[in-house]
Amino acid sequence: MRGYKRILPVLIIVFIGLQFIPSVRNQSGQMAINDISRIYNVPKNIHAVLVKSCYDCHSNNTNYPWYANVQPFRYWLDHHVEEGKKELNFNDYGTYSKRRQSNKLRAIGSSITDDTMPLSSYLLLHREAKLSEEEKSQILKWVEDTRGSLLGSR
Amino acid sequence: MKKLIFSIALFTIILTACNNNSTSTAENDTTKSDESAITADAGTSTSPIKGIVDGYLQLSQALAQDNDKNAAEAGKNIVATMNRLDKSSFTAEQTKVYNEIEVDAKEHAEHISANVGNLKHQREHFDMLSNDVYDLVKTFGAGQTLYQANCPMYNNNKGANWLTASKEIKNPYMGTEMSSCGTIKEELNN
Repeated sequence: MRGYKRILPVLIIVFIGLQFIPSVRNQSGQMAINDISRIYNVPKNIHAVLVKSCYDCHSNNTNYPWYANVQPFRYWLDHHVEEGKKELNFNDYGTYSKRRQSNKLRAIGSSITDDTMPLSSYLLLHREAKLSEEEKSQILKWVEDTRGSLLGSR
Repeated sequence: MKKLIFSIALFTIILTACNNNSTSTAENDTTKSDESAITADAGTSTSPIKGIVDGYLQLSQALAQDNDKNAAEAGKNIVATMNRLDKSSFTAEQTKVYNEIEVDAKEHAEHISANVGNLKHQREHFDMLSNDVYDLVKTFGAGQTLYQANCPMYNNNKGANWLTASKEIKNPYMGTEMSSCGTIKEELNN
């Protein structure tokens, strides 16, 4: 028990120290002029689903949960957001090349078909982000339609 | 109290472990790409995109054999080649095409190299990469004769194309299961 008494203060100090790791919030607050909804026709219901289930990691505006204020959770979260945005940023969609836009659309479709997105670790704490079967089929249909119209306009 | 201490300690350990892991892979990547840079530079290339085409053909072969590890290796080679490609000698038109394709193609190659154990995902990116490489070959030439082949069955019968150096079909989308399925559509002679 003695050992614990010595280690405990150290751990507490480390934990407090971790809270001082600087981190910037992923909240631009600016108009997303290159958002996907400016590029394609994105019906309101589809956009709402995307914002609810995808935008936390795939846009410039994360809706942070309470534990985001506590390290080391925050560190872990920031890492996810960074990775997510690198892969696909709905707010920056308009800056992608035409071919990348079309390919991203396809990837959105297959990640939903394959159930790889939203990440299961994310869904664990965001039950509301889970896509219902109906939402899935709505998005898949939208992806198909949009890709079809792209091919037609070429 | 014991539990609290334990969980804090455990959490910190897990986080550090995760973090260390990702850094070490990144370091490995850079060393590997440096090595291949030397080997590839030794040969004189006729087409500026020869390295990409070579990596692509290597990738196609790996997928035709259902070999996810070799496919990943080929993907890595493509990324490495693209990272050290000298664009200074490109014409304006070539630069335009390359810039339009670059990010997309590199991303596909990265995904392929990161998805050992997931041939399905590797093939999906190979499909998109094939379009990129086709457009590159059309613009730059491959320095060798290539054929564009088509697999009508892939992706729920939506079909997909790929490039091959030989007229003999070795289908990278269906793998060993339906190796000879597919037809030659076009000869790219340059």
